[in-house]
Amino acid sequence: MLNLLPHLVNGITLGLLFGLIALGFMLILGLMEQINLAHGSLFALGAYFAYAIATPWLPLPPDLVQAWAAVPLVWRFAAALLIAPVLVAPFGLVLERMMRRTYGRDPLYGLLLTFGAAMVLEELIRQVWGTRDYLLPVPREMSGGFIMLDLIWSTYRFWAAALAVLAMAGVWIIVECTRFGAMVKAGAHDSEIVQALGIDLARLRVWVFVLGTMLAAIAGVILAPLWGIRPHMGVDAVVPAFVIIVLGGVGSFWGAVTAGLLVGMVVGLSGAYASEWSLMSMYLLLILVVTFRARGLFGKKSVLEA
Amino acid sequence: MNQRKITRRGLVQGSLMAAAAGGTATFFGPWQHNRVWAQGAKKPIKLGLTCDASGQYGNSGQDDALGIRLAVDEFNAKGGVLGRKIEWITADTETNPATGTRVAERFISQEQCGFLIGAVHSGVANAITQVASKYGTIYLNTNSSAPSEAGENCSRVKFVWDGNGTNFSKAAVQNAVEKIGKKWLLLTNDYVWGHTTSAATKAQVEKAGGQIIDNLLVPQNTRDFASYLLKVQQAKPDVVATAVGGDDIKALRQQVSDLKLEDKAAWINNQQDWPDVWGAPQTLFGVFGTTWYHKLPLPGVAEFVKRWQAAYPKSPIPVPGNVSYNGYMATRELLRAIERAGSTNNIAVIKQLEGHKMPAAERMQHFDAYIDPVTHQVQQTIYLARRNAKPSDNTDLFEIMSWTKPELALDDAAPGKCKLKAYDEVPSFEL
Repeated sequence: MLNLLPHLVNGITLGLLFGLIALGFMLILGLMEQINLAHGSLFALGAYFAYAIATPWLPLPPDLVQAWAAVPLVWRFAAALLIAPVLVAPFGLVLERMMRRTYGRDPLYGLLLTFGAAMVLEELIRQVWGTRDYLLPVPREMSGGFIMLDLIWSTYRFWAAALAVLAMAGVWIIVECTRFGAMVKAGAHDSEIVQALGIDLARLRVWVFVLGTMLAAIAGVILAPLWGIRPHMGVDAVVPAFVIIVLGGVGSFWGAVTAGLLVGMVVGLSGAYASEWSLMSMYLLLILVVTFRARGLFGKKSVLEA
Repeated sequence: MNQRKITRRGLVQGSLMAAAAGGTATFFGPWQHNRVWAQGAKKPIKLGLTCDASGQYGNSGQDDALGIRLAVDEFNAKGGVLGRKIEWITADTETNPATGTRVAERFISQEQCGFLIGAVHSGVANAITQVASKYGTIYLNTNSSAPSEAGENCSRVKFVWDGNGTNFSKAAVQNAVEKIGKKWLLLTNDYVWGHTTSAATKAQVEKAGGQIIDNLLVPQNTRDFASYLLKVQQAKPDVVATAVGGDDIKALRQQVSDLKLEDKAAWINNQQDWPDVWGAPQTLFGVFGTTWYHKLPLPGVAEFVKRWQAAYPKSPIPVPGNVSYNGYMATRELLRAIERAGSTNNIAVIKQLEGHKMPAAERMQHFDAYIDPVTHQVQQTIYLARRNAKPSDNTDLFEIMSWTKPELALDDAAPGKCKLKAYDEVPSFEL
């Protein structure tokens, strides 16, 4: 048990990070019924903008850049966490504008559009930042290791897990406890009635998409110090996000959280005890669950069902 | 919200259509096995550069291409080879064996490339080899270093230019077992290079009296190494030997550095490709192998670096590393072999390459190198390095610790595993 315990703890932290990655994807798919394959590229953009803000690597007058560089890293990192998602939001706005023509049509149009957008965004990153890797610096207070259970653990990993919990709580409050959330859910349930009540559904969709985009960017910022920054890092995010959403049940907040934790546990434990299966394990879990419950763990009436 | 819902049937239909489209995209035929080439005295010689531009080895693949192109440009500036200009085309092999097969087929059967050059991923290299062997097309595996490439997967048409896992293990293991400790743990990328390299390390460790206490397989594209690092700490090895490459080793290095685990055990990274180091030098740790370094104090090195920089002033990596160097050397030696053969006949060129000796001064290495006629692997100087604590500039990341003669790092098992076809079994052609 003593040998197993560290891997259970690791699985939980990893699960929270997976849940964080899936949040924005869950919002857009669950509330707008759009599979946003550009989610990973928006995740990557968040990481790159955070790097630009924190290092700093900014297209500003040298005096301003120097003054900003003199600010303690902890503030620059906090600024990156807050500002990077705002900078990525306009990309979401543009993408949503382009997607409008696909609403109400075969979902493959939306898939193709967002797939194309993902490639464009990745190429844009290559053009601006080049193909090399970057490391997002972490404040000393959050980096390094600490000893627990006679092992060295990454301090930042626990900070990242805590930030993931905060992000999840924020999304839950927005969706479950605000008028905006109620309108969005009602719109997803019966768009005609909602429009008949005088609610501007088009504007609601914009806000949902922007929120999903910002969540993708937040995940990118938080994961960047752990997984590194490179142009194709989006692929590392979009695939697990998709697995988690289908596993948890499309449109279910708690489904995404639970599925994230489950995937984290399975990947973490298999990494320790059957390492060659660690990446495959999430797909096996998906197959297992979907075989017995096609709509996922918490899915009510899945948009993937006829 | 939408008038039309996503249906499972729709998704399945779409997936099948996409799969069908992907499937047909692989079919370029019918092609002829025995090619007839238009003869023309001044017809350009066309090279197909099979370099990754995306996936795990995307950066390395592009660095490889820069070295290859530099050699081509230098020959073209001298008037080409046999009075013929050299042309090249390239396509992204995506660090994916299936894509490698497709690209190689297209380059040979449609683009009429007479030679294929480039590889980093051993699975991709092996896939390209299968296609090249079918047509008799000479293929230069520039940078994939699985021992199997010059062992069980060798080919009469393939020449392997990088040091392999066994070469690096032989240079590093004996000394480490004696001076550091006998308990070794292996971290192995779960594909052919990782497996064959770790097998070579295991053999060397056991030969030196050491013991492998665990071998953790790392699936390709692993980004989170926390469970591995916990396992490493629980196992308490003296030495952790990694055969992990590309983006995976970058993520691993980053996470090991963050925990400062590099001080808890000795780390030996079988080979550290320059593009995997550039961009995150602060995470460089342990001892690692390489075949070349841009600050080797040898004649010709500085001039080569200047030529490379002049050719690529906007390269994402400002200096050539081992990957670009291997691409350059392989291409240069191929073009020289064509000149020596006085022909582009594939068998004549193969014979010029087999057993060819390359003086140390020309290779910009410490010792003379040669192309093993039995395995087709270039036997060359093997360097061990570590992070440079006193860099002379921001590119001076390595401190070269030792250089081993080719014969001392020889992969003894390869000749027994490599069975080359007879010349008359190889399709022959003249471009």
